[in-house]
Amino acid sequence: MYGSASTHDIPAKATTGLENEDPILLAEFEARIARGEKIEPTDWMPQLYRKQLTRMIEQHAHSEIIGSLPEGTWITRAPGFRRKMAQMAKVQDEVGHAQLLYSAAETLGKTREQMLSDLVNGKSKYSNVFNYPTPTWADSNVISWLIDAGAIVNQMANAKGSYGPYCRALDRICAEEAFHLKYGHDAVVHMATGTPIQRKMMQEALNRWWPAIMTFFGPSDKMSTHTEILMRWKVKMATNDACRQQFLDMYVPKIWEIGLTLPDANLRKNEEGVWEFSEPDWEDFKRVINGDGPCNAERIAVRRAAEENGAWVRRAMQQPKAQYVRPLA
Amino acid sequence: MTGIIYLLPSSIPFPLLFSFDPRISRLELPEVPSLPTDKVALDQFPTYEVFHQRKENAAYAYVGPVHAPEADVAFLFAKEQFSRRFPCTGMWVVPTSAIKVTEYGDDQQSVYDRLPLLPADELGTAAATGQESYDIFHLKKRGKAHAHVGQVQAASPEAALQAAKAAFGDQRPVVNVWVIRSADLLRSDDEDRDMWTTTPDKKYREAISYKVQDRIDRFKQEG
Ligand SMILES: [Fe+2]
Ligand SMILES: [Fe+2]
Ligand SMILES: [Fe+2]
Repeated sequence: MYGSASTHDIPAKATTGLENEDPILLAEFEARIARGEKIEPTDWMPQLYRKQLTRMIEQHAHSEIIGSLPEGTWITRAPGFRRKMAQMAKVQDEVGHAQLLYSAAETLGKTREQMLSDLVNGKSKYSNVFNYPTPTWADSNVISWLIDAGAIVNQMANAKGSYGPYCRALDRICAEEAFHLKYGHDAVVHMATGTPIQRKMMQEALNRWWPAIMTFFGPSDKMSTHTEILMRWKVKMATNDACRQQFLDMYVPKIWEIGLTLPDANLRKNEEGVWEFSEPDWEDFKRVINGDGPCNAERIAVRRAAEENGAWVRRAMQQPKAQYVRPLA
Repeated sequence: MTGIIYLLPSSIPFPLLFSFDPRISRLELPEVPSLPTDKVALDQFPTYEVFHQRKENAAYAYVGPVHAPEADVAFLFAKEQFSRRFPCTGMWVVPTSAIKVTEYGDDQQSVYDRLPLLPADELGTAAATGQESYDIFHLKKRGKAHAHVGQVQAASPEAALQAAKAAFGDQRPVVNVWVIRSADLLRSDDEDRDMWTTTPDKKYREAISYKVQDRIDRFKQEG
């Protein structure tokens, strides 16, 4: 899952630093991208490219790890053996995605140790939707279907980006996401077309999640210098608005066809084929992404506990050559 | 977040993290996290690069790295990470540090064209002693994966690259070449093949197992 736009903390007015780059190398770099060739780790690249990609891939990796937590706690409570197995497989996939993405980010020079430290120390961001709780099985289903659907919109776009290692990782990831999407859809349809109680549970979960889903792609892009350059360099492949429109176009009809409603009276497709909706509460979004959401502390605490509880295993494995010596006396 | 002081069952004196999720509450995590700590170097182990074989007789192709303390563990992690979801009939792992990497060329070109020819004595070709086997991998296009093209005999990685140019230099394009001493690759055994055959049992991991349209149609008819 979970692409770049959901955290979007590019400082709008920050300088691009391009004036300090070697103009000849920069021109070659841009020509390569314009020809449709990928950039590989040992190629020269502008600082801004390295910095933005590192941040984007790292945040994507963190989102996979943190995103596996709300679904992970539903494995043992998933209704039925088959769904337990499938939920477990999906969570395992997501954690695998994080591994692939951390490796891709590492090729840009930031160590995995530093990325993991920044996550548990609260210095790095991850997709803001995971700062909300999943009180019922239906909430987990909403993540499996619609959050993954949003992520797929992002990932399919990013897979056409310019950075070789990220593209290789995303190709594998996208192939697995196909299962997540179908699995999530199946689970939601099952509940929505089930008993009145199941249906109510699903509707309530959808109502809880819809505001967060509408913020998933981030606020409207202001066409800052950054956006323009990052799109030219194929770091950012589509605007937040374009992604959101694509998502609404693909999934709102699928939600409506199973008789579920969405808690936004203004949501409709206008004559030009553009989706209209109530502007999400971006102030609330900012507050939550900066730490004050219902689950921020819990997500970090759980991740940190996992790191701390695993430390002795890593320490033990770091010395495979160490040998047991029998006490002498 | 509101903290709740639980007195039972643990009677831990600091405020515990409150969660609606009983599984999280039971972890008894402190509400205020411990002081920030930075991981030390190599906490995540060095890296190994992984190649897999998609089907019998196909060339081994690069799939990505894993972090591991040693080759055997790298192999286990690689199997988990790269063969869990896709067909696989074999796997090789090699320490990242053991790979000799050429420059990257442009798409459509061959990096062999830029390879300076080394004098024969420097290559040690005269001395038949000390010859070893090297595995050669080509990247055909930027953003794609390196694939195995074959082995050469040589006395050093530099000499192996020269030998690779002689043996495989007519293939093109070649954007980049990896040279690996064959002895550095840990390879899955042919005898252990059945370890790759678990994938087909797990149909619930395939998108194709979820056919929900009937249910939707029925719902629409009834509604
Ligand atoms: Fe994922
Ligand atoms: Fe997901
Ligand atoms: Fe997913």
